[in-house]
Amino acid sequence: MEALIEELKKQIIEALNLEELTPEDIDADAPLFGDGLGLDSIDALELIVILDKKYGIRLSSPAEGKEIFKNVRSIAEYVQKARKK
Amino acid sequence: MTTILATNILTPLGRTTVENYEAVRAGKSALAVAPARAGLPLRHCAAAFSGQQWAEMAVEGLTRFESLALRSLQDALSRTAVAPSSGRTVLILSTTKGNVEELGPEPARDGAYGAPGEAARKIAARLGMRTTPIVVCNACISGVTAQVLADRLLSAGEYDSALVCGADTLSDFVLAGFHSLKALSPLPCRPFDWERNGLNLGEGAATMILGRKGETDAWTLRASALTNDAYHVSAPAPDGEGVRRAIVRTMEGEDPGTLATIAVHGTATLFNDQMESKAIERAGLSDVPVSSYKAVFGHTLGAAGLIESILAMQAAQDGVVLGAKGFEASGVSGKINISSQERRTDKTAVLKIISGFGGCNAALLYGRRPSAPAASGKEASLRVTARVQISPQGLWVNGERCGLRQEGAALLTEIYKTCLDDNPKFYKMDLFSRVAYLASALLLREEKEVEEMPFILFNRSSSVLADRHHLRSCNGPEGFFPSPSVFVYTLPNVVMGDLAVHYGLKGETTLLILPEKDEALMERITGSVFTQTGARMMLTGWADAADETCFEADMKIIQINQ
Repeated sequence: MEALIEELKKQIIEALNLEELTPEDIDADAPLFGDGLGLDSIDALELIVILDKKYGIRLSSPAEGKEIFKNVRSIAEYVQKARKK
Repeated sequence: MTTILATNILTPLGRTTVENYEAVRAGKSALAVAPARAGLPLRHCAAAFSGQQWAEMAVEGLTRFESLALRSLQDALSRTAVAPSSGRTVLILSTTKGNVEELGPEPARDGAYGAPGEAARKIAARLGMRTTPIVVCNACISGVTAQVLADRLLSAGEYDSALVCGADTLSDFVLAGFHSLKALSPLPCRPFDWERNGLNLGEGAATMILGRKGETDAWTLRASALTNDAYHVSAPAPDGEGVRRAIVRTMEGEDPGTLATIAVHGTATLFNDQMESKAIERAGLSDVPVSSYKAVFGHTLGAAGLIESILAMQAAQDGVVLGAKGFEASGVSGKINISSQERRTDKTAVLKIISGFGGCNAALLYGRRPSAPAASGKEASLRVTARVQISPQGLWVNGERCGLRQEGAALLTEIYKTCLDDNPKFYKMDLFSRVAYLASALLLREEKEVEEMPFILFNRSSSVLADRHHLRSCNGPEGFFPSPSVFVYTLPNVVMGDLAVHYGLKGETTLLILPEKDEALMERITGSVFTQTGARMMLTGWADAADETCFEADMKIIQINQ
C-alpha cells in the first residue's frame, strides 16, 4: 500500500504539473480538493485519466470519483481493489 | 447603426438560412449516433455533413474548413450588392479550431494546415478582397464577439461593410477533447431538460453581411455587452452573474416587452443550462420565450453564435418562436419560459446570449425598429502608460531590460519565480499561455482599477503548441488518453480566463488572430473599443508562440488622455 501511495503521488505531481511539490510534500490523508492541495475540476478529470491509463479503471464522471478522490490514500485503496493492470 | 444586409446558414440540414429554418420548423435534427473507430475509439452522437455534402462543398485548393466558410460567404454575398473587393469591406472570421484537422502531432505530419489568419486570408482572396481579415477565437462566444467587433468597426467608420462568417468542422481533435472533459452525451442532447447529460458537437457555417446603412425594416444590431465571470476557466459561475451582467448592460434603456425570444446557449451540460436559467431569471426576463437549437445542430462552436441568432431572427420575422427540441420537463432551477412546441409571436426583437471557456460571456440585442444613429465617436487621444515585452532573450519593463539569467522557455519560469510566484496554475499552461500570462500579469499587478477594463489580446499562431500536445495525448504509446488539462489550453483565450480569475477582470476578454502582427490594424480595433464602449483604459497587445524557441509578448496598458 505504501509503495502504491508513493507511486500515485509521483503520477499526480507529473500529470497535474505540480512543479513546486515533491511526494514528501503531499500528505496521503490530506484532502486533495478545496483547502488541501487546492485541486480543481479539471484536475479531477485528469485523475480519471490516470486511473484509466495506469490501472485500467474507467470512471464515467467526476461525481463517481468524489469519494475515491478524497485523498491519496483513498485513491490507493480503490486502485488496489479495482485495478485491471 | 449596423444593419444586417444578408445571411446564410450552412449545416447538414440545409445550404441557406431559409432551408435551415424550414428544416427546424419541420422538427428535423442533424444529430446521429456514430460508432467508435480507429483513431477515435469513442461512440458518440454528433451533427456531421455526409460524404456527399462535403464533396459538393469542396473547393479546389482549399481545406474542408476553408471551403465550408467560403460557401457560406458566397451564398450570403449573392443576396446583397456589397462589393467584397472594396477597400472598405472587411472579413471577420469566427472559429475556435479552424484547420485543426490538417494539423499533425509534429510539423512533419501536417496536412494542408494553415494558421487561422492564413486560412482567413485564403478565403478573403477567393472573394477578391483587399483588406486584411480578422479572426475571432474566443471559444464558444466567438460568433457573437465577431458581430460585436464588426459593429464597433462599422460604427467607428473604419469600414462600410463587414462579412462576418463563423465556421468549424467536426474533428476528432475536438471530439476527443470534449470526451476528456466528460462533457459529451452519447445520445441526442436535451437542453434544459431534467434528463440532460451533456452536449453533442456539430459542424457548420453561418454568415452575416453587415453594413452601415440598410432598408428601414432590416434587422439591426442595437446593443451588446461582453463580460467575464472571473470564476473558472472551464466552469461557469453557478449564479450566472457574468451572463446576467451582459444581459443587463445590453438591455439598458430597452423595453423587454419587445423581445420575441432569447436565443440561449443551451449546450445541455448540467452546469451551462442551470447557470443560464439563473442568469435569465435574475435579469428579470423569466417570461420571455427561450429558443434553444443545440438538439438540432449540435454545438457548432465558432458558428453557433451566428447560426442561433440568424435562425431566431428568421423565425421572429415569420411571427414564430421555434420549439426547443430535446426539451420535455425542466431540469433547471431558474425560472425560464421554454416549450418544445412552436409558438406565435408578434414581437420584433431578439436577444442572443452565449458563454464560453475562459469565462467569457456575450449578449447581443437585435431589433427591427430603426434606432437613433449612434455617434461615430470622437477619435480618442490615447497613451501607453505601461508596457511589458518578453522574448526568448529577455524581459523589458517600460523599455528597461530586467537582469535575468535564463534564456528561452527557462526564462519564463525564472520570470514567474522572480516576479510573481503566486499562482501555480502557471505550471499547467502551454508556452503561449505562459508568455501571454506573464506579460499581462506584470502589468495587471501594478493597476488598481482593473475590474471593468477590456482585455484584447492579439496573436498569430493561435494555440498551435497546445494543439500538437493534445494530438500526441490522443495517440500516445499507451493509447487514446486525451488530457483535459492540455485540451483546455487548445483554446488560446483560456489564458485570459486564468488572468481574469486571478486579477478579478470582469470586463471583456477577447482574443483576435491576425495573419501577421499589424500594429496599424490593432490600433484601429482597439481604437474602436474606446470610442464605442466608453472604456477609459485597456489591457492589450500581442502574444505569440510559433514553436518552442520562437515566442514573443508585447503587452500594454493604454489609457485615454484626460
